[in-house]
Amino acid sequence: MAILEREEWYDLTRTTNWTTKFVTEEEFYPDEMSGHRGIPAEAWETYDEPYKVTYAEYVATQREKDAGVYSVKAALERDAFVDRADPGWVSTMIAHYGAIALAEYAASIAEAKMARFAKAPGNRNMAVFGMMDENRHGQIQLFYPHANVKRNRQWDWAHKAYHTNEWAAIAARSLFDDIMMTRDAVATSIMLTFAFETGFTNMQFLGLAADAAETGDHTFASLISSIQTDESRHAQQGAPSLKILIANGKKEEAQNLIDTAIWRAWKLFTALTGPILDYYTPLESRKESFKEFMLEWIVAQFERQLLDLGLDKPWYWDQFISDLDETHHGMHLGIWFWRPTVWWDPAAGVTPNEREWLEEKYPGWNNTWGECWDVIVDNLQNGKPELTGPETLPTICNMCQLPIVGTPGQGWNVKDHQLEHNGRLYHFGSEVDMKIFQMDPERYQNHMSFIDRFLAGEIQPMDLGGGLKYMGLSPGEMGDDAHGYSWLEAYSTKKSDDAA
Amino acid sequence: MSEEQPEVLKPLKTWSHLAGNRKRPSEYEIVSTNLHYHTDNPENPFELDSDIPMADWYRKNCLGSSLKHDDWNAFRDPDQLIYRTYNLLQDGQETYVTGLFDQFNERGHDQMLNDEWVAKLARFYTPARYLFHTIQLGSAYIQQLAPASTITNCATYQTADSLRWLSHTAYRTRELANAYPGLGFGENERTLWENDSIWQGFRELTEKALVAWDWAEAFVAFNLIAKPAVEEAVIVQLGDVARSEEDTLLGLLTQAQMRDAERHRRWASALVKMALETEGNLDVLNGWVAKWLPLGDAAIDAYCTELPDGDNAAIDAKNGVKTFIESLGLTA
Repeated sequence: MAILEREEWYDLTRTTNWTTKFVTEEEFYPDEMSGHRGIPAEAWETYDEPYKVTYAEYVATQREKDAGVYSVKAALERDAFVDRADPGWVSTMIAHYGAIALAEYAASIAEAKMARFAKAPGNRNMAVFGMMDENRHGQIQLFYPHANVKRNRQWDWAHKAYHTNEWAAIAARSLFDDIMMTRDAVATSIMLTFAFETGFTNMQFLGLAADAAETGDHTFASLISSIQTDESRHAQQGAPSLKILIANGKKEEAQNLIDTAIWRAWKLFTALTGPILDYYTPLESRKESFKEFMLEWIVAQFERQLLDLGLDKPWYWDQFISDLDETHHGMHLGIWFWRPTVWWDPAAGVTPNEREWLEEKYPGWNNTWGECWDVIVDNLQNGKPELTGPETLPTICNMCQLPIVGTPGQGWNVKDHQLEHNGRLYHFGSEVDMKIFQMDPERYQNHMSFIDRFLAGEIQPMDLGGGLKYMGLSPGEMGDDAHGYSWLEAYSTKKSDDAA
Repeated sequence: MSEEQPEVLKPLKTWSHLAGNRKRPSEYEIVSTNLHYHTDNPENPFELDSDIPMADWYRKNCLGSSLKHDDWNAFRDPDQLIYRTYNLLQDGQETYVTGLFDQFNERGHDQMLNDEWVAKLARFYTPARYLFHTIQLGSAYIQQLAPASTITNCATYQTADSLRWLSHTAYRTRELANAYPGLGFGENERTLWENDSIWQGFRELTEKALVAWDWAEAFVAFNLIAKPAVEEAVIVQLGDVARSEEDTLLGLLTQAQMRDAERHRRWASALVKMALETEGNLDVLNGWVAKWLPLGDAAIDAYCTELPDGDNAAIDAKNGVKTFIESLGLTA
């Protein structure tokens, strides 16, 4: 061969550390950006990225991937799938793009931080490709929804959401700012790539891709599964950092970073992905329940990987496992109830058939969340829709920025975990949220949740209308029931069937 | 939910933030504009405590830059590159370069080089891996601190291009090591980068530029001074010498790399032009040029004067940088 194999020269591309002379090493790699934690450069040079790729290979592969994805889009656009898709599925796409596109783009900045400040040369190079990947994911997930802006003003939120104070956008920014935008390079490699991308993006992209294929949305399926092929490569930047931290006596710190990131990601997913997979996706298209996906993609994967690395399961693991049955049902109920405050139309997803499925997947559902939905159904059937929507605001957690929820009905366990810190009263949705705050209060303490801002008079007028204005939501954007309440007919039919 | 509400918003033809423009937006604009959310609130860039160190860093070095503009988001890349077209472009370029490597290897190019030139390659060429890496680092910094996504994107692709140059150099280093074992190829580059006098000017320039934390100063230090200086000396001048030494491969490779450099200069020029719309920026930019250009010139001198016909090489390289800076309306 007249061309060298990658293995013959790859190491030279990552033999790039040198001793600085004209500035000190600490000036060059400030710890607040680099996160070297006093571990010497030689130790960081042992960093070995498991997935190796060269520049030439990268541009060739990515060109090919884009050619595939863009040609599928072009072919399917003529097909206008969106116009005949189930409204619950359309809501899924609108929620997904708004919550994801700009966060992915922002992740390119987090990658660039590793590309500049990681003391590990292998990490610096891999992060260049990671930065490029996230540039792709931001752009492609804007290009797709843009084709639909002519259909409905909610599609505009694919670009707009992160620029607003809509509460779910605040919660999403809170997560991503905490795990990737404001951490040093090493913490970013752990919190973003190891904790978030290894498991959670699998959930969002492969879980949703499976459902998308079932609904016949091949455009979306091909898009997000193609994205996941990039994620699974650049997600591998965290494990080598973890190995170095552990080998240099920083296991506890590494563990804390992982524990924080997994919990915070989990909470956002209970509001975003849980409702999508268990309620918005048409019943016949659901491959697995949110819990089943979580068990497969998150629980099994982390349990194995953490133990392999010599780390522990997060201290809250038992609570996390039991919350898999609960939290997202509460988030869904809350989002549907406060539906004018989101940029998509939540699908209720509680027809008698769907409730049967929910009961099967989550035994006890009918005696808990089901009881709340019974009241909603009664009110809607009795011509009292005003009782099924909000007049006030929910309590918001000062960590995850999401409503504080719990199990209602016969399993009642709703609890506002309160903490007084420096003379201010904070509210948390769980003990874990509170503990994360307590571990590092300086990261969070002067932040104002949506409710704090409301109580401080920043949101005027102090009513729902003022809140919607503050969130940037106008009629035409504000959510309403995805199916226009047509699902109630299934109850009428059931009643007459029962009567017969 | 049925209280008196404002009128229902109608669907638009594009994103609401682009809807006021007269022209239909291009794919470039649809996927590239106004993507940074952390510049929305200058008081607190992030959805966390406003006093965390990273918030300070961004307040100071991004929106707090000495270079001011009311609307950095108005910046447009003259090449309108997006991810998809970048890969189309650069896969084509890499196919060309890989073809060169293949063809020249096939015909035993390295074995035919003269010994004196081979020794020069070990000194003047292969240690550039470190220099190209500094450009990779500097570009990645501009990427993360730039106040608009359209600027960040240009720096994103520039970072990748720098890794491209580094990769070419690493590849050639291994080939030369295979052809000339015992001459230190693949082994001595770090020592030369850290000790050989020809590299110390560039080392000083880039080490210092890499701690210029104001995003716009980093942009000036790299895109207006360090990169042009590196390109004029280590790509253009070295490429010229290579051609005269019958190292056609390095001659062609450096020309291929200059296509990236020319694109970087186009976006840098557009950004300076836009910055000069704001009063006061001319002085800021000239101040930074005055601070960094002497280091750039000194780096060129240290490197070029040791090349064959070094004095003229240094003059040409310094003129190349000066001409570029003056083309921007700045004082060199």
